[in-house]
Amino acid sequence: MATKTSARSRRKGEGPVPGLSREQLHEILYLLKLCRYFDERMEALYRQGRLPGAIYSGRGQEGTHVGAVYALRKEDSLFPTHRDLSAQFVKGVDLKRVMAQFWGRIDGYTRGRDGNSHMGDWYGARTFTVISHLPIAYPIACGAALAYKRRGEDRVAMAICGDGATSNGRWHEALNVSAIHKLPVVWVVNNNQYAYSTPNRLEFPVATIAERAAAYGMPGVRVDGTDVLEVYRAAREAVDRARAGEGPTLIESVSLRWRGHAGHDPAKYVPRELLEEYMTRRDPVRRFEDHLRTNGLIEDDEVKAIEERIEREFDEGYRFAQASPFPVPEEVTKGVFTDDGYWASDPSREGGTG
Amino acid sequence: MATQQLEAGAAGHGAEPRGKRTEEGEATYLVAIAEALWEEMERDERVFLLGEDIGVYGGAFKVTEGFIERFGPERVMDTPICEETIVGMAIGAAMEGFRPVAEFQYADFMSSGFDEIVTAAARYHYRSGVPLPIVLRGPSGGGVRASAFHSTNPEAWFAHQPGLKVICPAFPSDAKGLLKAAIRDDNPCVFLEHKWIYRRVKEVVPDDPDFLVPIGVADVKRAGEDCTIVAYGAMVHKALEAAENLAGRGISVEVVDLRTVYPLDVDTVLRSVEKTSRALVVYESNRFLGVGAEVAAALAERAFEHLDAPVMRLAPPHTPVPFSPPLEDAYLPQVEDIEKAVEQLSAW
Repeated sequence: MATKTSARSRRKGEGPVPGLSREQLHEILYLLKLCRYFDERMEALYRQGRLPGAIYSGRGQEGTHVGAVYALRKEDSLFPTHRDLSAQFVKGVDLKRVMAQFWGRIDGYTRGRDGNSHMGDWYGARTFTVISHLPIAYPIACGAALAYKRRGEDRVAMAICGDGATSNGRWHEALNVSAIHKLPVVWVVNNNQYAYSTPNRLEFPVATIAERAAAYGMPGVRVDGTDVLEVYRAAREAVDRARAGEGPTLIESVSLRWRGHAGHDPAKYVPRELLEEYMTRRDPVRRFEDHLRTNGLIEDDEVKAIEERIEREFDEGYRFAQASPFPVPEEVTKGVFTDDGYWASDPSREGGTG
Repeated sequence: MATQQLEAGAAGHGAEPRGKRTEEGEATYLVAIAEALWEEMERDERVFLLGEDIGVYGGAFKVTEGFIERFGPERVMDTPICEETIVGMAIGAAMEGFRPVAEFQYADFMSSGFDEIVTAAARYHYRSGVPLPIVLRGPSGGGVRASAFHSTNPEAWFAHQPGLKVICPAFPSDAKGLLKAAIRDDNPCVFLEHKWIYRRVKEVVPDDPDFLVPIGVADVKRAGEDCTIVAYGAMVHKALEAAENLAGRGISVEVVDLRTVYPLDVDTVLRSVEKTSRALVVYESNRFLGVGAEVAAALAERAFEHLDAPVMRLAPPHTPVPFSPPLEDAYLPQVEDIEKAVEQLSAW
């Protein structure tokens, strides 16, 4: 896929995996496969009627999530959407507590106050608790980035939204303000080609979302979201720029949402040929695994070990969630404000930086 | 009533707002608010201001006049016209340990930042446990011939959304003490400054830098025996004027100033009504589902056995705030309307 950045041309001479060790490449494969496995298993449980609430599959977009967030440090912050649970995994949320979250248990990140991927782990993985209204977290990421700049910290905020959210006024407000103040923020647009059922051509009249960056005075780059290393390279460059005080970057990462908007949506509006292409030749997980195998960067038993680890972690998480108690009804009014101290005992606050 | 404009005195250009007090040490409501902001910024470097034209210009109403010279452009941050992002930035900075105070040029424009206020700020702590110490302040209210987009009383919108503290002071001391309390509070506070009061009301205001007025506590502004008037904001002053007039006609009125719309101090209202047995609720948010509707319902539920008359409400009709003086005067509860309503209640 053509990219718009001049930095891209500077990198032409580089190898396929710049600056990443064999261990890191294996970690990336683990994360890709974890995101895929979790998504598939949770959808199966949902369809079996064993999972309450809703699911928002991110399948097909793992390259964007893993590639972008792998460029962050632990102390950087992430502002994801409901589609980006994979991104939260990359940032370090605990799978066990995520599972408890899906089943509405007290050990879930929202203590049963919200469900599914509408969660975050601010004191641990430094992820924002997801809000449905998009891109509501874009202006909030500006505020976090403003804090880093004010204190002279070399931390970065990264916000993710879909192509759909770029039509909203806040998206433009946030990009504008971030550029005015050269805030250390990376704007990632997960262009999965559909805003629920509405295709790109009815969302914006320009050829790419990335080119809109020019209007705000920041670099914009369009990458193939099914190539995790291409996403990582762009994200790493943007994160380094932000850390160096050079301001924000817009990254448009293009893939396809394999599943519907939510579990109930069969996504019949997506042309079959397009879906087949993305599910075969442009499967970000398989692409990366093939890449590692072809280049002799991973052995069969290593792949097997990764897969077994993921299955084990999922099963442990499932058991943890089922064993976790439900919140008690008497506490329904607790925690609206800090005044009642309800949240003060939450385990995720221990050692927090907030 | 003509607006009473005080001299700027020695303040402005980096001098503290206390210099804008009168020789007798009285501060207007506006100056008291400026004092609260200034003192909290002096006390706590995490406190900063952001909003439109608050820096060099000093704000549309000049509340932050002189602040940028003392605290610099980072702590008195001029923003573009982007209310959603103003609120969003306040949230994000609060998550990272700052204590932002966002100014809206008019409280009407809070609707331009509505989603970030009610969807993000208000519901965030309940779902995440992350405190959001932010204050969203702006001039609200009518009576200054500013019509539909510069006179709104949005307190009912925000009080209806769980997770926001909504503060509507009527007096300079309360405004100062409540704003300082709001800045020190770990939760999102909507602080509505009634613009009709800004330069009309002045009093001697406490100097103690730790002078705070607790959020969620009403205050009896005038003691009486025959009837309780519950009000907040500009309506407190109308109620007090009516009470004075009614006293001359032998009716003793108690005036309860709610000061905070949420949390609502029903207990103080109940104590008053248990004594007077009659209640009139005067409020400036629209009558239908407005703040006074909740007060009246609470009295119906909890004070039925004490009431000698139906609880009455005086509040604007279900229209936008009109411009033309006869229309706006008809829209807002007036002193004479209050007197008439109390006389009706007293006849029971």
